[in-house]
Amino acid sequence: MSTANSSIRDVLYEPPGPKTRRRIGIATAVSIVVLVVLAAKVVRQFYIAGQLGPKYWSLFARYTTWRFLGRGLAGTMEVAVAASAVAFAAGLLLMLGRISRYKILRGFSTALIEITRGIPTLLFIYFFFLLAPQFGLKLPAFWKITLPVAISAAGVVAEVLRSGVNAVPKGQAEAAVSLGMRGGSVFFKIVFPQGFRYVVPALISEIVIVLKDTTFAYVVNYSDLMQNAKVLISNYDALLSVYLVTAVIYILINYLLHKLSVRIAGRNRIPGITIE
Amino acid sequence: MAQEQKRADAARQVPVIELRHIDKYFGSLHVLKDVNLSVQRGEVVVIIGPSGSGKSTLCRTINRLETIDAGEIIIDGAVMPEEGKMLAKLRSEIGMVFQSFNLFEHKSILDNVTIAPRDVLRVPRKEAQEEAMRLLERVGVADQAHKVPAQLSGGQKQRVAIARSLAMHPKAILFDEPTSALDPEMIGEVLDVMTELAGEGMTMVIVTHEMNFARRVADRVIFMDGGSILEENTPQEFFSAPRSQRARDFLNSLGDRER
Amino acid sequence: MKYACLLGRTIREAFVKEYGTCSMSIYALLTQFGDRYLSALFTTYKLTAAAFALAVVIGVAVTVMRIAPVKPLRMAAEFYVQVFRNIPGAALLIFLVYALPYLDIVLSYYVCVLTAITLIPSAFCSEYLMAGMNTIDPGQIEAARSLGMTFAQLVRNVVLPQAVRSSVLQMTNLLVATMLTTALASQVPLNPTDLTGIVSYINTHAVGGVTAFLISAVLYCVTAVVIGQVGSLIDRKVRVLR
Repeated sequence: MSTANSSIRDVLYEPPGPKTRRRIGIATAVSIVVLVVLAAKVVRQFYIAGQLGPKYWSLFARYTTWRFLGRGLAGTMEVAVAASAVAFAAGLLLMLGRISRYKILRGFSTALIEITRGIPTLLFIYFFFLLAPQFGLKLPAFWKITLPVAISAAGVVAEVLRSGVNAVPKGQAEAAVSLGMRGGSVFFKIVFPQGFRYVVPALISEIVIVLKDTTFAYVVNYSDLMQNAKVLISNYDALLSVYLVTAVIYILINYLLHKLSVRIAGRNRIPGITIE
Repeated sequence: MAQEQKRADAARQVPVIELRHIDKYFGSLHVLKDVNLSVQRGEVVVIIGPSGSGKSTLCRTINRLETIDAGEIIIDGAVMPEEGKMLAKLRSEIGMVFQSFNLFEHKSILDNVTIAPRDVLRVPRKEAQEEAMRLLERVGVADQAHKVPAQLSGGQKQRVAIARSLAMHPKAILFDEPTSALDPEMIGEVLDVMTELAGEGMTMVIVTHEMNFARRVADRVIFMDGGSILEENTPQEFFSAPRSQRARDFLNSLGDRER
Repeated sequence: MKYACLLGRTIREAFVKEYGTCSMSIYALLTQFGDRYLSALFTTYKLTAAAFALAVVIGVAVTVMRIAPVKPLRMAAEFYVQVFRNIPGAALLIFLVYALPYLDIVLSYYVCVLTAITLIPSAFCSEYLMAGMNTIDPGQIEAARSLGMTFAQLVRNVVLPQAVRSSVLQMTNLLVATMLTTALASQVPLNPTDLTGIVSYINTHAVGGVTAFLISAVLYCVTAVVIGQVGSLIDRKVRVLR
């Protein structure tokens, strides 16, 4: 998205004249001062609270710290990958149901899509964490976090895939039919692969959401990045620094995924499809 | 009476549009080379030339939609500044009709015509609407007043764009290839409106490829190539006996297509 | 919508048939916890409305900064958006609740929750507004200029209305997303609790089980569907035809 932003910025302002240039110069100077003051205030707050002390930061110079966080991150990634895979499979099925020719199947899929899109991930997690065991459904912690996260994403994936399929020009299917292809193979060999390509960026954005949702793993006691951060905190008695570093890791990973999605979107731009 | 005549004569001597020594670069490309142009009140000036000759850029330069690197633009005696309220005011005195219409897509046809008078000139709403309806009537799209641009044909849109310009009571209107984006069958309806305007004494600067139209309505033809004005001439002379070799080549290259 | 209700009932009936002993009937649950449900629903709605309103205000301000011709402002706003669109809600909430006190900043649970569920949607709000603005054809801005409009006038007449109109659907999605984010409130002790928190509350105080889950799920879902329907209704009314 941020790459496309340049267009509106370019036309919104005319090339500045001398007066405007002076005004922009003043605004730039003032805003730099304000931002520096703000940053200084943050650092000062850290200093006053004694949070800049080496005791809180030296642990990050240790290999073991990073190995431990890395292991947590691996746990996060395992959940994210599994949940994405399940969400994709479920989303694909829901999408097929949603566009099926049978009214009942359509209604059923639509309802499921609305339900998974309209309920918070946490509620699904509580379902698997608190309720499922009451019925004797004993899942390992991994699935207790993976399944609800996947279910939460499935509806969105279905809608994203459907928007991709809808964006494929009708002529494509018509051409395939005129070549004698059958309904099923027209869809899976011609229409779906093209539609899928259109929505790759949106699907990557959905992976970001899945990754964010995995942070609820602490609810079910699964050791992910967040959980391992907690362990580090109790070992080193360094809460603020560890949580800060953890948050930055999450932000960086998601930022990179977001950039990737923007980049792919820029490469195969299709009108009518926006990435979220 | 005599005095009034005198004043009118004096006014006639101040050109509505005057460009002095305009230079413009796109990076290292010299797109306007020391261009001088003056347009008198009531004059219809048609700018023609091959694509890439700088004619569109010149047209857009007149109301400073393009920046210039050197020179002066003078609108009815007032120098057009680089920025600020005066720039906006002088722009409001010069209408502009674009190749791609550029109607405000979220507003009804009527609102497209009234928005600038109301917000820029502070004309009361009712007055602006009555005037807008008169103008839409005049360009033949009054029955579309309550639709939005997307519901109109290209020709209709361009006529609305002309009405939108007229609503500001401009001293001159610039037309930047007004028919180039139109289907052939719609070109006529737009040119008819423009011909009518010319007949009513509107000052116009027109960039176009429509040679028949140019011959018919132009008081003066300007031929541009390579960022320079190579020839200023009457349409009769220009089309029958162009002075410059490049103009001759250009007219020949049009061949029978434009005659 | 109709299907959602139908499906809810089917699932419930299936559960009741299989595990009838495990969950209370809706009637019993509502007599015991009805008031709590009402205040939970109210809490969720209140948080949603407050967070969404704040998010839009911040989102607009951030967007103004992002398009300002002042580079440091742009960079700061861009940084803000990237941080809050990419941080997981749980990580942000945990940071606000547990880490900020170490900086001598102690916020109430309610403020922590409201802050977390405002900051994240505000980043997305700005992204949607930017996308909405990019749907505007630059030619219209030139046309506005040629009619003598100043910068403020063309922003007011041309840019803003179109940006807002073409982001209605995304704003609707944002409102739903904000509502789903309010479930974060269940992660801190709040009284009254929200629609997600009440499920764990009931489960620790009674055998409400599946029924409690279903009531919350249906309330969320119905709200989301209603918001979605209203949103597409508004969108159909104000959409800019191109």
